[in-house]
Amino acid sequence: MRENRAIISRFLLTLMILLTINFFLPRMMPGDPFSLASSDVEGEDVVVMTEAQRAYYMEYYGLDRPLHEQFIIYLKNLAMGDLGKSISNKMPVSGVILIHLPWTILIVLAATIISTIAGIILGTLSARNRKKGVDRFMMAGLIAFAEIPSFLLGLIMLLIFVVQLRLFPIAGAITPFANYTGILDWMGDVARHAFLPVLTLSLSQLTGVYLLTRNTLITVTTKDYIRTARAKGLGERIVWTRHALRNALLPVVTRTGFMVGALMGGSVLVETVFSYPGLGMTLRSAVIARDYPLIQGILLVIAVSILVCNLAVDLIYRRLDPRVVAQGG
Amino acid sequence: MSMFADDETRSTFAWLPPDIQVIFDRIRSGLSKFSIEGKIGLFGLSLFVMMALFAPVIAGHPPDAITGDSLERPGAGHILGTDELGMDIWAQICYGARMSLLIGLAVAAVAGFGGGAIGILAAYKGGLADQVLLRVIDVTMALPSLPLLIVISAFMGPSVVNVIVILILFSWARPARIARAQTLSVKTHAYIIAARNYGAGSWYLLRRHIFPEVLPILLVLVIGITSHAIVAEAGLAFLGLGDPTSKSWGMMLNYATSFRSIYFTPYWQWWLIPPLVALIALLLCLAFISRDLERVLDPKLRGRRNTE
Repeated sequence: MRENRAIISRFLLTLMILLTINFFLPRMMPGDPFSLASSDVEGEDVVVMTEAQRAYYMEYYGLDRPLHEQFIIYLKNLAMGDLGKSISNKMPVSGVILIHLPWTILIVLAATIISTIAGIILGTLSARNRKKGVDRFMMAGLIAFAEIPSFLLGLIMLLIFVVQLRLFPIAGAITPFANYTGILDWMGDVARHAFLPVLTLSLSQLTGVYLLTRNTLITVTTKDYIRTARAKGLGERIVWTRHALRNALLPVVTRTGFMVGALMGGSVLVETVFSYPGLGMTLRSAVIARDYPLIQGILLVIAVSILVCNLAVDLIYRRLDPRVVAQGG
Repeated sequence: MSMFADDETRSTFAWLPPDIQVIFDRIRSGLSKFSIEGKIGLFGLSLFVMMALFAPVIAGHPPDAITGDSLERPGAGHILGTDELGMDIWAQICYGARMSLLIGLAVAAVAGFGGGAIGILAAYKGGLADQVLLRVIDVTMALPSLPLLIVISAFMGPSVVNVIVILILFSWARPARIARAQTLSVKTHAYIIAARNYGAGSWYLLRRHIFPEVLPILLVLVIGITSHAIVAEAGLAFLGLGDPTSKSWGMMLNYATSFRSIYFTPYWQWWLIPPLVALIALLLCLAFISRDLERVLDPKLRGRRNTE
C-alpha cells in the first residue's frame, strides 16, 4: 500500500509540473494576448486599444491579478473542463477536442489491439522455433524495422499504398458528402480511411510486444513446472498454451497500457502524415495557425491520458503480480 | 571488464595519459569485434559524416539559393532535381546531414555525458543530493516528451538552439539514472575499496576506476540519444516547428508534404524520397552501431535492455 501511495504521489507531482509548464509557457512569451488576438483575427477589430481599454480587458480576463491567483483560477477552470477558447475555430477548445478525439481513440485502440495480438502470435512462433530460421529472420527483420520512426514509416506506406497502388483514400476519416446506404457501408468507409494509420501505428509497436513475448516465453519454458507438465505426459499444445503462454502473457498485457500512452504521442505525427482528422492533425493546424489555447488544450489531453495510462499500468501490475509488492517496499 | 584483460599490453595510444589510453584501447579492441552489421553501420555513418563535413565541396550548389527552374527532374545540372523554389535537392540533403548530425551529437554529448556525470557524482556522494536527483529523474522520465516538445517549441519559437536545449532537457534523465545505478554497484567492489585504503583520492577514484566502468553503458546510451534527437528534430520540423532558416531533412519533408497536390504529381519522387531515405539510412546505421557496441562492450547489458 505504501508503494501504491508513492506511485500516486509521483503521478500527482508529474501532473502538477505538466500543468505548471502549461500555465507558464504562454505567460513567458513576449507581448500579450490582446496584440495576438488583434493580429490573428482578419479584418476584425484591428483598432489599437487605448490604455484604458487595455486595462479594462486585463482586468476582465483576470490578467492583472498576481500570478498565483491566476494559477488557481486556471486550475479551477480546468477542473470544470474549461480549456479556453480556440482562436482559429472560434469555439471553445473543449468543443474542438471533443470533435476530433474520437478519431484518435479509434485508431489508437485499434492499433493497440492489433499490435498486441500480432506481437503475441509472432513472439510465440519465434520462441517455439528458437534459434531456427524463422526466429532469426523475424528477430533481425523486426528489430531493424523498429528503428524506423512511425511517421517515416507512415510516409512510406502512403507513397506505396495510396500514391502508387491507389488502394486507399489519401486523407480524412470519412468520404466527404457520401451517401451511405446503411451502417455497414459507413463502417466500411471508416475502416478504409483508418486502415493505413492503424497499420502504421500497429507496426510501430509490434516489435516491442514481439520481443517481450518471445523473451518471456523463452525464460518461462526453462522453468521446472514446464518440465513437470511435459513429464506427466501433457501434449505440447497444452504445455504451450496453458502453462507457458498463460504465465508469459502477464508482462505483455500490462505493456498494452504503456502502449496506449506511446501511441497517443505517436499519433500526432502519424495523423499528420495521413491527414487523419484526429487530435494530432488538429494540433498541427493549431501550430500553423498559432492557436495557442488550442495547442495547450490538446497537449493537456494527450499528456494526461499518457500519464493516466502509465499510472493504471503501475497500479494494475501490482495487483496481478504479488511478487512485485513483495520485492518492493 | 574482465573480458579485456587478455588484450595486448602495448598500445598505439601510448602517448596519451594512461587512463585515456585504456579507454581508447577498449574502443579499438571493441571495433575489431564488430559484426558485419556493425561495420556497415560504421561505414554508413562515416559516409554521412563526410557528407556533412564536405557539404560545400560535394553539394555543387548552395542549398538556399535558386539555381534552377522550379521542380526540375533529376538530371545533369541537378543530380536529384530541384524543389518548388528551384533549389537543388542534393545540396539540401548534404547540408541537411550537417543539421541532423549537429543536433543529434550536440544533444547526445551534453545529455549523455552531462547526465552521466550527474548520476555518477550523485551516486558517489550519496545522501540528500542523491535522493533529490532520484526524484527529479523519476518525474522527468514520467513526463510525456513528444507532446511537451511540440508545445514548448511552439511557444519558444523555432530555432536550432531551442530545439537542442529542449531535447537535452528531456534526454539527460536516462543516462543519469543508469550511470547512477552502475556507480552504486561499482562503488562496493573490493578493488575500489582497496584503492581507497591505499590513499586514492575521490577525483582519482572517479577518473581512474569508476568512469571507465560506466563509460561503455554511456556510449551505448549516447548513440541511442543521438538517433532519438535526430528523429525528434525531424518530427518537429515535419510538423512545421523547425527552424525555417535551416535546411534540415525534416524541413524538406515538411515543405514537400505541405506542397499542394504533391501526391498527385511525380514531384514526390525526387523531392520527398531523398530526405526520407537519408533519414532512415542514418537511423539504421546508428542502430546497427549501437547494437554491436552493446554486444561488444558489455555482455551484461543485453539482458537489461530487454527487461525495460
